Amino acid sequence: MKLLSLMRRQRALVNCAPITARQLADRPMRSAISRADGSAEFADQQNFDRAVARVVRLISIPAESAEWFSEKDLVPVSNRTWKNTLRNPAVLAISIAVAVIAGVFVFNFVSHLNDFPGSATARKLLGIAASTRPVMLDPVNAEAGTLSDLFFMKHGLEHYDVPEEFADLGTIGCRVFEDDESRRIAQIWVSEKRMQFFLFPAERDTKTGSVLRFPGWRYVHQEGWTGAVTEHSGVCFMAAVRGEEKDLQPYVAKPKD
Amino acid sequence: MPERKQNLPQLYRFCFLMLGDSRKAQEVFHATLREAAMRAARGELPSEPFWLFRDARWRCLEATKSDLQPEPVEMAERELDAKAESQIQRLDPMQLAIWISAAPDPQRSALALFYLDEFDYQDILDIAELKLSELSHFLAKGRRQLQAWLDSKFPQSSNV
Repeated sequence: MKLLSLMRRQRALVNCAPITARQLADRPMRSAISRADGSAEFADQQNFDRAVARVVRLISIPAESAEWFSEKDLVPVSNRTWKNTLRNPAVLAISIAVAVIAGVFVFNFVSHLNDFPGSATARKLLGIAASTRPVMLDPVNAEAGTLSDLFFMKHGLEHYDVPEEFADLGTIGCRVFEDDESRRIAQIWVSEKRMQFFLFPAERDTKTGSVLRFPGWRYVHQEGWTGAVTEHSGVCFMAAVRGEEKDLQPYVAKPKD
Repeated sequence: MPERKQNLPQLYRFCFLMLGDSRKAQEVFHATLREAAMRAARGELPSEPFWLFRDARWRCLEATKSDLQPEPVEMAERELDAKAESQIQRLDPMQLAIWISAAPDPQRSALALFYLDEFDYQDILDIAELKLSELSHFLAKGRRQLQAWLDSKFPQSSNV
């Protein structure tokens, strides 16, 4: 039954076979023609159809009607304006995608505009600052500037000095730990503004091994935390606070004695 | 778009085949394009393909509604002849148009659209609102009827 119906359909398609040998996009039609091709019946049909189509092409167009062909505006097509083009879903989707990519590019560019050697480590440490609780540190009640000796004597950390700008602040606790790259980090918690200090090795040139220095204080931001970073003798110091740059600026701007 | 501009002569030929009368074909052709121009001015051109042909077809059917209708007579049919090509060559476009326009619709639309050699069968199904089996039936029957008419009009020398 299925075969019969298939044969009927093929027969029907052969009856509707295109007159000229144009490229056939329709697969069932291609298949039906290839089956019928070679039969005298199909050849007669094709010759018949071609002859009739040739007569149809001889139908002349009256001059009055031919005038319409030159009228561009009457051709029912492209009234395509910029607005219409922009409303096209494909164009809209591409525009949005390009805008998003451009946005991400600009965001990355701007966020890395103030990058400096060690800024990636500083951002990671801001994340640690956000998750640190006072009980995780060894209690120390002293001035921050005095902890350099402790780091040197107890942990062998040279030049882990708290800059003068923050040296007078009283500490609550401190610890030394290793980060995921086995660098030794000193963390100090001070009572003022619940600030935290971090001392960590400065970034080095991978080829020469020399310290990548940068002058003055630089700021980093991460999830509501702000850090002011400076480098001295191959060690970076960062004062971290939950807040903005303006919370740290009074300390950093403090003139040295 | 160049393809669409090329369609306009075919649109006229379609009207001519449907009506078998140059004056009426021009009237329908002009009315269809006037409507298209007005829609274009309003920015309301349909996005569907071949709407001009669909519109012209309905106008042609409407135009012939009030005409004298041929009596429903069963036309003779003959199997296609290998020598039909030489008979068809002797046909005048006007004679062919009159013959096609005398066919009842939708056979008339099917023959007119098919012999324009402008559309594939799926386009014709769409424009004439036919099923494949119907289109196939109308074309096959139309060929046999045209062959019978050609035989009566231009008898083969061997038959004489």
